[in-house]
Amino acid sequence: MNFGIDEYIHLGSPFHRWDPRFKLIGLMALIFAFSFVQDLRMLPAMVLVTALVYGISRLPVSFMLTRLRYQSFFLLAVVVLLPFLSGQTVVASIGPLDLRQEGLVAVLLIATRFLCILTVGLVMFGTASFLTTLKAMRALGLPAILTDMALLAFRYLDEIGGYLHRMETAMRLRGFRGRRLSPHGLGVLAWLGGSILVRSYERSEWVYKAMITRGYGHAKPARGEFQACTADVVALGLTLLIVAGFVAGEVLI
Amino acid sequence: MHIPDGILPAAVCGAGYAATVPIIWYSVRKINQEANPRESIPKAAILTAAFFVVSWIHIPVPPTSVHLVLNGLLGAVLGYYAFPAILIGLFFQAVMFQHGGLTTLGVNAIVMGVPALLAYHIFRLRNIRREAGRITTGIFGFLAGSCAIGLSAGLFLVILVSFIGAGFDVEVERAAIYTLAVAHVPLMFIEGTFTALVTVFLHRVRPRMLDYA
Repeated sequence: MNFGIDEYIHLGSPFHRWDPRFKLIGLMALIFAFSFVQDLRMLPAMVLVTALVYGISRLPVSFMLTRLRYQSFFLLAVVVLLPFLSGQTVVASIGPLDLRQEGLVAVLLIATRFLCILTVGLVMFGTASFLTTLKAMRALGLPAILTDMALLAFRYLDEIGGYLHRMETAMRLRGFRGRRLSPHGLGVLAWLGGSILVRSYERSEWVYKAMITRGYGHAKPARGEFQACTADVVALGLTLLIVAGFVAGEVLI
Repeated sequence: MHIPDGILPAAVCGAGYAATVPIIWYSVRKINQEANPRESIPKAAILTAAFFVVSWIHIPVPPTSVHLVLNGLLGAVLGYYAFPAILIGLFFQAVMFQHGGLTTLGVNAIVMGVPALLAYHIFRLRNIRREAGRITTGIFGFLAGSCAIGLSAGLFLVILVSFIGAGFDVEVERAAIYTLAVAHVPLMFIEGTFTALVTVFLHRVRPRMLDYA
């Protein structure tokens, strides 16, 4: 279960071929450079670099638009409210509400940074399988507890999601609608949540025994899972140059 | 209650990541002090997936429905595994649903994870005098759930109002904090009640799952 994030990992663009470890370092540095931008004059460069990255990745535009739909209404609320609440310089009035310059600038910065970071994030995770990305994180030195937990949680997400789906269907077939908040309804939903936790716990006991049988904790970590070539290093160098350009531009302008 | 990318300055995002490092280190140190830490990892991992799934349950709050955060329940059941579990859950949400963000992952982990560790310590108090019964478990479950979400909401609001945009009017800032804080009180009650009901259920059905706390 990855909700379509690695739907286009077969495309074969330079980003698809880039060593996942180098890709993680390079693109994470790039999104942090984007979040560093505070000057409006840097925004066109940010949009240009993002468009270039997305274009090279060959991911379809529809993929990005679909993922944008998932974002919460939180950002929309910020965009709508901030121009009226933040700042002192009034540029226009709409009825009793004053539109403020500082708020408008903040909204432009936030919206552009958000869109650029989201797009680069899609390239980072949409051009390799999620499992490969997790393995690359482990190769980069993330603590074993975190990567082991993430790999296992990812492996069982689909199965446990299936428990919830089946149990909700069974509840509906037995007449539970749960359309209004009531102590009884909340109790039923709590039992549903509790049942999923108990089932998962029982499953984990079997999984642990199976893992021990297969040598979990005794096998040496696999080396050489990722092989970087010169092109990977050059690509990382280029990306870090762009990152340095953004930081220098922000500091000097 | 997830802060998306682009909202916070890079320094705050970096500070969020930096702050998660000592908490992860402390959690891992506590986990390694267990008799068999290797045995707990698959359990904690699969329960992380289970909590992720349980948070999809819609709680009807007419005219809409809400998803619970469940960081209090996570703390009560997973103990020191709660912080790594929340970090992983937030990472999954950022990658799979674009909820929250990659630059704000550290900040969001602090907002959700630190209250989860607090909830773990609150829930542990239930056994301080004698083995807790159903009612005591329910009371401490309620406290763990509501305190965790209350603290998360407080941290979320303080970070948001302090770092978003520039030059908020003091009156506007105060009004925004009060309004949003009041709006979270019913959520604290719902989250606390849900946590209490689940902990009582686990106490009756599989008390071993609450042994951690």
